[in-house]
Amino acid sequence: MLTIENLHAHYGLSHVLQGVSLHGGPGEVVGLFGRNGVGKTTILKTIAGWVPATSGSVRLDGADLAGRTPDAIARLGLGLVPEDRRIFPGLSVEENLRLGLLQCPARSRRENEAAIGRAFARFPRLAERRHQMGTTLSGGEQQMLAMARVMVGTAKLLLIDEPTEGLAPMIVDEIFAIIGDLKRAGLTILLVEQNIHRALDVADRFYAVERGRVTLEGDAASPKDRARLMETVSV
Amino acid sequence: MAETIDYLQFILAPQALNGLSLGVAVVLMALGLTIIFGLLDVINMAHGEFYAMGAFLALSLAGLGVGFWALLVLVPLLMIPIGWAAERWLIQRVFHSRDRHILTLLLTFGLGMILEDVLKLAYGPNTMRPETPIAGGTEILGMFLPNYRLFLIGFGLALIAAVWVVVFRTRLGAMVRAAAFDKDMASSLGVPVRRVYAGTFAFGVALAGLSGVLLAPIYSVFPTMGRDFILMAFTVVIVGGMGSIQGAVVAGLLLTQVQAISSLYISPVWSDPLVFGIMVLVLMVRPRGLFGRLGNA
Ligand SMILES: Nc1ncnc2c1ncn2[C@@H]1O[C@H](COP(=O)(O)OP(=O)(O)OP(=O)(O)O)[C@@H](O)[C@H]1O
Ligand SMILES: [Mg+2]
Repeated sequence: MLTIENLHAHYGLSHVLQGVSLHGGPGEVVGLFGRNGVGKTTILKTIAGWVPATSGSVRLDGADLAGRTPDAIARLGLGLVPEDRRIFPGLSVEENLRLGLLQCPARSRRENEAAIGRAFARFPRLAERRHQMGTTLSGGEQQMLAMARVMVGTAKLLLIDEPTEGLAPMIVDEIFAIIGDLKRAGLTILLVEQNIHRALDVADRFYAVERGRVTLEGDAASPKDRARLMETVSV
Repeated sequence: MAETIDYLQFILAPQALNGLSLGVAVVLMALGLTIIFGLLDVINMAHGEFYAMGAFLALSLAGLGVGFWALLVLVPLLMIPIGWAAERWLIQRVFHSRDRHILTLLLTFGLGMILEDVLKLAYGPNTMRPETPIAGGTEILGMFLPNYRLFLIGFGLALIAAVWVVVFRTRLGAMVRAAAFDKDMASSLGVPVRRVYAGTFAFGVALAGLSGVLLAPIYSVFPTMGRDFILMAFTVVIVGGMGSIQGAVVAGLLLTQVQAISSLYISPVWSDPLVFGIMVLVLMVRPRGLFGRLGNA
């Protein structure tokens, strides 16, 4: 589904990704862990087309993403739930949600409406607040909206960046429940998360990132791999 | 008492309506400018020349026998590919460089100078005055008003309302607002940002061209006709808030009223200083203008 080989990326002169290789199979949840500033978000941004790769390749379902714009990549089936959620302030909850439909311009209106209906049924709090401006929602609700926004589309691969950051424990539970649902629905998920234990419960495999490189790959169910991960990411 | 009513009816109200007919055209210009700025962060210095281009296109097409009603559709339609090409081939060239604010400013300024000279070469420097497309006048409440001005007010207000509906009530508008606020995120949801940029620029240019068609019968047509008008449109955009649609409408109607009414009491020479004085005052109190930028809450 997702294959990254020897990926390099720069911000100006700083060489942030220094040869990242990783992959995610169909229906697999892959954790991406590492300390602050090692390049986890940059990996996601490079996949999504926000940051150009200076070398290496990213393939989604066999298609090379090099040189494609983020909207073209989205239409290939990539859904992004970014750090800080990035809800649009001048747009209502419903307008924010409906932007997720642009991923699949060929889908029929009826199917689109059905997808919106399912999203509002799944997130009743968003349905109640559908006419409010998106940024008047609480942090947890905004995170739900950011998740719902990619769920109404036709994503096959989701990139989710620190979805529980700064949220109350009850909402954290809810978010991991959603990620579990998405996994059962067969999506491939690349999950960046500081809450490593919770993430490992839902993940199949994981990678540890250090200073722009993947330094460890492991099986989420293996106690040995987990122990090595904790050594790598602990300060 | 009777004198007061006479004054209102025969002096103040007609002047206000004259101001309004200019006001709607100014708002159409300012809308194009402010939407382009709100989305692309580009100050289109060539906007006044696109306005002149619209007027000249109308003049030429009218010479070929195209009627006024067809011009109202045809000229904006012809301006769309021109605006699209300007965005794609000129603006996009410098759009991703680090000094893009200054570069796009200089680029569109240069483009405006070229367009102005092209118009001079093609049509000569002299002033031309198209015939009034709608002749006659109507008496309303004892006031005699030229029909064309009444049409201009009605058509302009309807167009402003249509722009508002498109921007704030349609999916296309939501895409524009989303891209204006956060182009990367909008893009990752599937908003075709490049096409939205080019399309919005073209739309703004088409609005400028349409203002040219509408105002040509009132203010006559000459190659530098954009200069005076663009100053007013820029003032409106600055007072209303750069990138704000509400701001362009409110400030456009307000400032043209100030101009119209004040010219009853003071020499017209002073009406520009008055308008710019208001701009300075507004900026002292609210440096970002009256309303918030497109895409922001
Ligand atoms: N836009 C940018 N311009 C320049 N440098 C950047 C930019 N964004 C991030 N960086 C730098 O690149 C490095 C990697 O950043 P990145 O955001 O990918 O890290 P991260 O692993 O996601 O960290 P965190 O856990 O804090 O989210 C950091 O050193 C950061 O300072
Ligand atoms: Mg990060």
